[in-house]
Amino acid sequence: MESWWQCEIPYPFVPPEVLAAADSVRGSLPNKWCDPTISADLFEEVLDEFLLCDDEGLNVLAIEHHAGINSLMGSNPMFVGILARQTRKARILSLGTLVSLRTDPVRIAEEYATADVMSRGRLEIGFVKSGGTEMASNQTNPVGNLERYWEAIDLIRKALSSHEGPFSWEGKYYTHRHVNIWPRPWQQPHPRLWSATGDPPTAMEVGRRGMVHVLVLRGPDGTKRAYQAHRRARAEAGLPKVTTDNFAYAAMVYVGETEEEGREVGSKLLWFLNTSLKSAPQYAKFLPGTAPPEFAPQIYRTAPRPAALAPSDMVNAEKGVAPASQNAAKLMSISTEEAMQQGILFCGNPDSVYRQIMEFYDKVGGFGHLAMIGRSGFMTHEESVKGIKLFAREVAPRLRAVKPIVAE
Amino acid sequence: MAEYERLDVRGIDLEVLRRGSGAPILALHGLQPIDPAAAFLDRLAGRAEVIAPSHPGFGGSPRPGDFDTVYDLVHLYLDLLEALPYERVTLMGFSFGGWLAAEVAAACCHRIERLILVDAFGIKVGDRETPDILDIFNTHPDEVVRRSWHDPERFKPDFNAWEDDALVRYARGREALSLYGFQPYMYNPQLRRWLARIAVPTLVLWGAADRVVTPEYGQAYADLIPAARFELIADAGHHPEKEQPENFAGRVIGFVGE
Repeated sequence: MESWWQCEIPYPFVPPEVLAAADSVRGSLPNKWCDPTISADLFEEVLDEFLLCDDEGLNVLAIEHHAGINSLMGSNPMFVGILARQTRKARILSLGTLVSLRTDPVRIAEEYATADVMSRGRLEIGFVKSGGTEMASNQTNPVGNLERYWEAIDLIRKALSSHEGPFSWEGKYYTHRHVNIWPRPWQQPHPRLWSATGDPPTAMEVGRRGMVHVLVLRGPDGTKRAYQAHRRARAEAGLPKVTTDNFAYAAMVYVGETEEEGREVGSKLLWFLNTSLKSAPQYAKFLPGTAPPEFAPQIYRTAPRPAALAPSDMVNAEKGVAPASQNAAKLMSISTEEAMQQGILFCGNPDSVYRQIMEFYDKVGGFGHLAMIGRSGFMTHEESVKGIKLFAREVAPRLRAVKPIVAE
Repeated sequence: MAEYERLDVRGIDLEVLRRGSGAPILALHGLQPIDPAAAFLDRLAGRAEVIAPSHPGFGGSPRPGDFDTVYDLVHLYLDLLEALPYERVTLMGFSFGGWLAAEVAAACCHRIERLILVDAFGIKVGDRETPDILDIFNTHPDEVVRRSWHDPERFKPDFNAWEDDALVRYARGREALSLYGFQPYMYNPQLRRWLARIAVPTLVLWGAADRVVTPEYGQAYADLIPAARFELIADAGHHPEKEQPENFAGRVIGFVGE
């Protein structure tokens, strides 16, 4: 199993009373609350942590989010470019440019090809569907997002792998009559592609395309279901079986010297869930296009009608339509113990963290990549550095010994 | 549902509400299809025949996969005007449907007797840093309600009390509206230039308390249409036909009978 460290570079230093009064801490919170001197310190600290991962033999992962306290990484390709230049050994996963928010996928392909060349072939390219506040802050129509997502990925893949001069693209969402990117990427035909998704229909498409499939904070049931959908779709399409190398899981991870230290510092990661997910209804439950209209009765009502069945998240998830807003509502109030139980947070001493990861591995049928949210909220640089070193030296070597297998 | 008829327009299946008898009025709905229980329909019923289709994607009208722009809607309603059993009808559009009605009338007035625009979207009036039309998708729903009604308390939706079917229809409508009107938001930058082509008597009706799209915008709209007059309805917001059905129906009947 490969380990990928990341910090989303959250900005937790907004006065709590401001956060409490805001209807959303993403999308609409004024950036007057974002002090550039604090931001600069955060960028410097976290970039140093990424470089430490490189020294310690871990891979790195950079995400993208917009206009909120949860992350200052609004420009993923820019960040990936810095990592491409400043790291020496680590593989660099972009997870990813919020591809359906950008008007021209060809520019994304160009940026990725540049980072791939600068890193001499250490780039991996992931795609994420993006959330409601990001639709707003990037002026993107939430309706049709998934179709746009796949068309953008198709265009980027073709742009990266076409080398015989300009080609033309006249799709439903994107038109570009003259695609011919320079530099061409280092890796042929293109860097490995990843996709982060939990809902089964999208999981099936990820499977058919043979992308590395990332589940983020989904817990054992949702994760297993998505991996199974991925495998089933491949089998139904007559495609060869894949190994656990096609599957990744993203969780919060912190390793302390002792169990107590690991849990105490690790629980700081939950700030991401408890504080940074707060989102106004127009960006969440009322956002059109995020769930089929047939689910409006469950989504729009704040209390069930007397005669109606109670809303069932399980049913929703089975059908692949549990909206992000419902997942968020469940995660916001989670405790350290619950988060550990649900495989959202792995923390403790090195032995304990290794055991928690492998228990989760067994529950979901195995995965080849651990994407670690290693720093969040008010965790300090020093705490983060300590956690990275302990994980890299005490846990990562044991995970590396877990080789890819064809799991059912 | 019993209160709706179905109409096929060149392969597009439409749910249509038909009410009353008299001067035919083709009514193009706004943010949501017209409620069959709306009081203004009964007020009009004695003097006019209201024909109110749900746009594809709204209510119970399916939306073909490749039907996703205002361009499609405009051509659909140009077709529908040809298909109706009347030489000419009054075309009336509310809000988003007002945009469609203005587009249809600017394209071709042969089948239109008169035009009525009610708190209509469709053009850009303000400068580049002043939005004309409230962004109902990116604004808190409570604020949207406050800006939509003269009397928000009376008209605030209580989703907990709605039937499942009503909620599904509502969500379909929001999805379709976002699809058609997201970018540029609820207007066509070119339409303003072509409003001068509208060659029929036009009534631009506006709720005096509309803060989704203001009466000043409505006045500007009317000024761009050669034979238009602008009238305000007091104590009404973005939906004067719902807040002041009597007054609204009276204006429509008066205008159609002129």
